[in-house]
Amino acid sequence: MNGLAVFFALGIALCSVSGCSVGPILEKTSNESQVSSVSAGSYKESVIKSSSTVYFAYDKYNLGEESLREARKIAAQMKKNTSLRIRIEGHCDERGTREYNLALGEKRANAISEILILNGVSSRRVNVVSYGEERPVSPGSNETSWSKNRRAVLKIY
Amino acid sequence: MNKFSVRLKILSIFLLLTSEAIFSQLKIEITEGIREPIRIAIVPFSQNSSSTQKFKLHSIITKDLESFGEFEAIKSEDMLSYPSNQEEVFYRDWRLLKVNYLLIGSFEESEKDNEIKVSYNIFDISREKRLYTGLISSQSNSWRKLAHRISDRFYQKINGIPGIFTTRIAYIEEPKLQEEKYHLKVSDIDGENNSLVFSSSQPLMSPDWSPDSKKLAYVSFENGFSQIFIQELASGKRQSIKSSGGINSSPSWSPNGRYIAAVLSKSGNPDIYIYDLNKNSWRQVTDHFGIDTEPTWSSNGKKILFTSNRSGSPQIYELTISNGRIKRKTFEGSYNARGRYLPGGRHIALIHRRKGLFHVAIQNIRNGNLKILTDTFLDESPTISPNGNIIIYATKKNQRGILAGITVNNITKFILPSIMGEVREPAWSPLVN
Repeated sequence: MNGLAVFFALGIALCSVSGCSVGPILEKTSNESQVSSVSAGSYKESVIKSSSTVYFAYDKYNLGEESLREARKIAAQMKKNTSLRIRIEGHCDERGTREYNLALGEKRANAISEILILNGVSSRRVNVVSYGEERPVSPGSNETSWSKNRRAVLKIY
Repeated sequence: MNKFSVRLKILSIFLLLTSEAIFSQLKIEITEGIREPIRIAIVPFSQNSSSTQKFKLHSIITKDLESFGEFEAIKSEDMLSYPSNQEEVFYRDWRLLKVNYLLIGSFEESEKDNEIKVSYNIFDISREKRLYTGLISSQSNSWRKLAHRISDRFYQKINGIPGIFTTRIAYIEEPKLQEEKYHLKVSDIDGENNSLVFSSSQPLMSPDWSPDSKKLAYVSFENGFSQIFIQELASGKRQSIKSSGGINSSPSWSPNGRYIAAVLSKSGNPDIYIYDLNKNSWRQVTDHFGIDTEPTWSSNGKKILFTSNRSGSPQIYELTISNGRIKRKTFEGSYNARGRYLPGGRHIALIHRRKGLFHVAIQNIRNGNLKILTDTFLDESPTISPNGNIIIYATKKNQRGILAGITVNNITKFILPSIMGEVREPAWSPLVN
């Protein structure tokens, strides 16, 4: 394990004890004026009702406290409104090989998916896609960009 | 390093300002080369017809042979004579110019058949010996290819291994702006004949050549998830191969062309599968809860090299297909991925992480000796020339995705900057006669 990962893991551990909010969840967008007219199962960007993003440590796919909380919140929301479905998109930073990152991105998306299913959401309502390092949100080759790109985007529709 | 190498200035490269130039074009710029390349002379070919000098065969051959720094051609204005047949060759002239090998030739064009015929000779000056006489012809619209074939022959006669100037490179061009598209392109190794294979607003990945060089397999997200497609280059005809939920990626064609090894995650985690193109069916060959990915075949089709994190970090493993036996091949460091066999099967090229930086490296898979080849640090997707001499890979320079290359003996380094766009995932075509 490299120093950075150790540092990050330590940070998460400390935070979960002290309750500080090193924010794994940064962005939230809402699109609630859109009305879903699409039949269950299909997905289009235009029908997303809300979307949130959770972040990951380098080369890791375990969820931090904040991410877990977000996943449980979404599970509760989906249990209440049974017409909702979710598409979870897993992403990585640019370091390492593309195909390995594609697999890593899926592990990240699956980590969220597992929490939803554990909390009573049917797997049929959960759709997981990995984009690996193919769709970065921040183009730089530095830790600031990389930390934004290591993410799972949770799109409820 | 500098003791053995010297920075060579790029030779002016004639850029065709045709419509092709609007696509990104790859061209080779040597950044570090051999101090004393082999001196050669490529005499302008004489022509037995009245047509204008539209076929600059000798300049294409010169450019080919100089591209990887192994040869240095003397300028035609420095030549003392311009022979076009054996009787006109005076070895002393060329010895005076310190030339080691000489190529001369002539061509004739038949307007009626739209054909050009070339005869050429290769000489070893120090041994005062003719090494080869060739006679080839082609349609006059494929005269570039004809020049590349002569370059290949020359290279083989001097170096004893096949030349790679008739081979091609497939690569992905990434959009710079969000509204732009991902492009899968193919280009001659000298950057000419750049053609678009497929475009999509969604990511394209992992191009891999069929052994006959006529098709590409690749991954496309055009339907919102990863799918493997096969596309015929000549016709543009494409079809997806049977996909399943989860990842469908990392296609790798078997040497006999019948199978495609790939990664599917339908069982819940990524494993290696083999697709039989005759039977249209998948067969699972690895089964582990970790990540298994990046399969590639040994040249005899009996083994598959792949990356797995089953030991906790990505390492390279080798699967013997017949008995399912899996053996770990890399032990140095905590990130070794995307291995590719070099011809001969004794070495693999791979991506190796050292001190947080990602380099192209070579490892002897028998004794485990690993050697880092590059000083760039975000390297990806090494692809090996079919003669085993050169590795091209994707890396970053000034925040841009570029292709770079290195000779396996670690002497010459070069980059292939494109005029536009970000380029990545180079895939070198096989040798095809």
